[in-house]
Amino acid sequence: MLGWLTGLALVVPLLGGCQPPHPVGELVVASRSSLESVDPVDVTSFAGSQLLSALGDPLYASDASGRIQPRLATALPRFSGGGLVARIPLRQDVRFQDGSRFDAAAMVFSLQRFLALAKVSYLLDGRVASVAASGPFELELRLKRPCASLAAVLSSINLTPVSPRAYRAHGRRSLRDRFVGTGPYRLATFTPQQQRLLPFAGYWGVPPANRGLSLVTLSNSTALFGALLSGEVDVLLSSGLDSDQQRDLHRRAGRGALVEGIGPAVEIGYLTLRSDQPPLANPDLRRALAYGLDRRLISERVSYGMRDPLRSLVPAPLPGSEPPSWPAYDPARARALFRKAGYCQVRGPGPGRRLSLPLSFRSNVPADRLFALTWQAQLQRDLGDCISLEITGIESTTAYRQLGAGAFPLILLDWSGDYPDANAYLQPLLGCRRAQGNRCLAGDSAASGSFWTAPGLEAELAGLESERGQARQQRVTRIQARVAAASPYLPVWRVPPRAWAQPWLARPQFDGSGRLVLQALHQRPQAGGPQAGAPLDARPQDPVRSGGTP
Amino acid sequence: MSRRRQLLAYLASRLLLLPVMLWLIASLVFLLLRVAPGDPIDALLGTRAPEAARIALRHQLGLDQPLASQYGHYLWDLLHGQLGTSLTNQESVLSVIGRSLPASLELGVLALLIAAVLGLAVGFSGIARPEGRLDLAGRLYGIGTYALPPFWAAMVVQLVFAVWLGWLPVGGRFPATLVPPSGTGFYLLDSLRSGSWSQFSASLRHLVLPAATLGVLLSGIFDNALRLNLRRALGSDYVEAARSRGLSETRVVLRHALPNALLPVLTITGITVASLIGGALLIEVTFSWPGIAFRLQEAIGQRDYPVVQGIVVVVAALVVAVGVAVDLLVALLDPRIKF
Repeated sequence: MLGWLTGLALVVPLLGGCQPPHPVGELVVASRSSLESVDPVDVTSFAGSQLLSALGDPLYASDASGRIQPRLATALPRFSGGGLVARIPLRQDVRFQDGSRFDAAAMVFSLQRFLALAKVSYLLDGRVASVAASGPFELELRLKRPCASLAAVLSSINLTPVSPRAYRAHGRRSLRDRFVGTGPYRLATFTPQQQRLLPFAGYWGVPPANRGLSLVTLSNSTALFGALLSGEVDVLLSSGLDSDQQRDLHRRAGRGALVEGIGPAVEIGYLTLRSDQPPLANPDLRRALAYGLDRRLISERVSYGMRDPLRSLVPAPLPGSEPPSWPAYDPARARALFRKAGYCQVRGPGPGRRLSLPLSFRSNVPADRLFALTWQAQLQRDLGDCISLEITGIESTTAYRQLGAGAFPLILLDWSGDYPDANAYLQPLLGCRRAQGNRCLAGDSAASGSFWTAPGLEAELAGLESERGQARQQRVTRIQARVAAASPYLPVWRVPPRAWAQPWLARPQFDGSGRLVLQALHQRPQAGGPQAGAPLDARPQDPVRSGGTP
Repeated sequence: MSRRRQLLAYLASRLLLLPVMLWLIASLVFLLLRVAPGDPIDALLGTRAPEAARIALRHQLGLDQPLASQYGHYLWDLLHGQLGTSLTNQESVLSVIGRSLPASLELGVLALLIAAVLGLAVGFSGIARPEGRLDLAGRLYGIGTYALPPFWAAMVVQLVFAVWLGWLPVGGRFPATLVPPSGTGFYLLDSLRSGSWSQFSASLRHLVLPAATLGVLLSGIFDNALRLNLRRALGSDYVEAARSRGLSETRVVLRHALPNALLPVLTITGITVASLIGGALLIEVTFSWPGIAFRLQEAIGQRDYPVVQGIVVVVAALVVAVGVAVDLLVALLDPRIKF
């Protein structure tokens, strides 16, 4: 320590007066994930889509209430040909950041490039047979099957158009560190740890409320937390931040030392139960576990209540998320079901047994570990004579590999829909190509590790793509009720994204896809800037959920 | 055989062994990565994506080819100086290394400098009065810094100097709102060459905490090594002989004991340099320092085979080169060394 003090005493005074200037009006936004590429065909992470959302525009976007609104399109798709042809009218006042015009040909180029190169090309692959321009500003998609959620699919930021002029020369290669799109910012510099965004003067929409942004990556939670408190960064995203530090920031926001914005949750945490092998092949045991999960207590212990208990696979505010289909915590019902299955230390004749069940969790996800420990203790307390959990950590990539091989009787995972629609949560967990009774032999359900299906379920799922409105919502509810009754999955919580900002900034806002609206970040009127020492005069505010594009 | 020829023969044998060693390392890494559970598709897509899309992406990335074919391509590229391209973004692995290795070297060199100066100073300070207070404090310092868990120490330093006192940045290599100096990738050097004081001071401000932390943690090794060797040297016959000739104690220590005590320290320096080339993972992760160890850790998490293989091979080559250089230097300085 003496060494540190001596060295720093010599160095710091020399450097102290050399603080790098913070350009007026430019903001620094920090998060944990680094970014290897900004090309929409490469982006698979949330950090990547967050950046793309500031550099590009999708055809459609989800608002705070989960409704899909046109963005680069001017209206929702018009279907014809038995729902197999979709025509989308496009805006005519949009230019790319290189000055070239956005039109249907540019959109066709971007979608074809996506289909050819994208790592997540499956978004369109299974749905779209061909893409063409049916007019200078009208896009025509020929579909492989009816797709009621097409507008929601096209709201994926990976499908943002890119300038043909800038990208055509690069053929079938991705452009890792450059981006030319139509968004409110242009990318000034890019490194995996730092990206600088400057307002695009020719933006067609509402111009950014700030003079530019620097997105920085700090690789651990303590560094992120410290950087916000020391004023080194202006806005901090919650992704990758430890629960106790999130709680501390939440409390500081309550005292007015920071401002907090909360977005709609797109990420859900859920348990997968392997339903085709004993012991959880017994539906009574699966339902017993469903009744034995005290979500509120677990959420409180693991995340200090910052993750919302969830009893539906479809998170609010998406249509179909209400009413919850999975049962609420009821240890008496759980005990009755365990007994029915021959477990618990029953009095009277019969020995009674205790179910010993392995619970796996991803060891590199701190919240998963806390969940496993907490649920183990909760079951020990409430149903200790019926069940004991043996918890095992496994690195996430390894877990994903072994999931489809049926390696886990019970495992905690998370899921974020690729686009804001109920089907983006149901199909990937329940789809089944080949089944034998209630056992899924091949398909999404098998790949997800539950191996559960039910007669007629696949047709129910397919029906989601041909129905709209109330009928579709009822179908979502019906499907969820069937799944809840069999309980091959147990929804645990949904994770609303949060952002904390310095008190001189306005409350951060999120869009309907759970992304921070970067162009809306700005200084509050009457608030001093960082130079004015504004934190002292900030008024206490209650954090409220926000949403909606500016 | 003359000593010069002995040295040359040693150098030639090591250089001849280098390709064999690199081939072994490259093959081992190649195989171990494939044996390890999970693959890039799992890392990229997680539980997302239907089975057909996963198969298509596996084909797109060439991961569906037979292992022997992948190995053959890999060795062929390696022979031609090609390390391949990253599976996550198609960036050339050489470019990934070119960007992250200078960051690690810059951190490593400054940390080594701090470690050597501090460690040797502390180690030397107690020599006047062995078992005295200063000697005891130095010993405690050596053991303490050596035993401190780097991750914990780095976090404490980060909290104290960056968060509470706000003297220095929490992490990163350069301020987000400034344009970093371009050139060699060594920011201090590049900013000096361009004559930009603001870039130089900004780079230095980011470098101070990680380098000081790493330097102090490593200084215990130098401290202990010098203390032990100096004490042994001071008790040896040639030092007694020097004393009996009436030389002053200062002269005895500085001219006779110290040079001999520093020889093992030189070897330790070599080993430390070699380990620093691979990067100080925990320090880089804690301070978000975009060095080679940090990148390697990310690549392992992403199962980005070409990046992991490329980094390991390059680092192994550099470590071997440093090892040979240190061996030669020690041999040149100490005529007793034989090969």
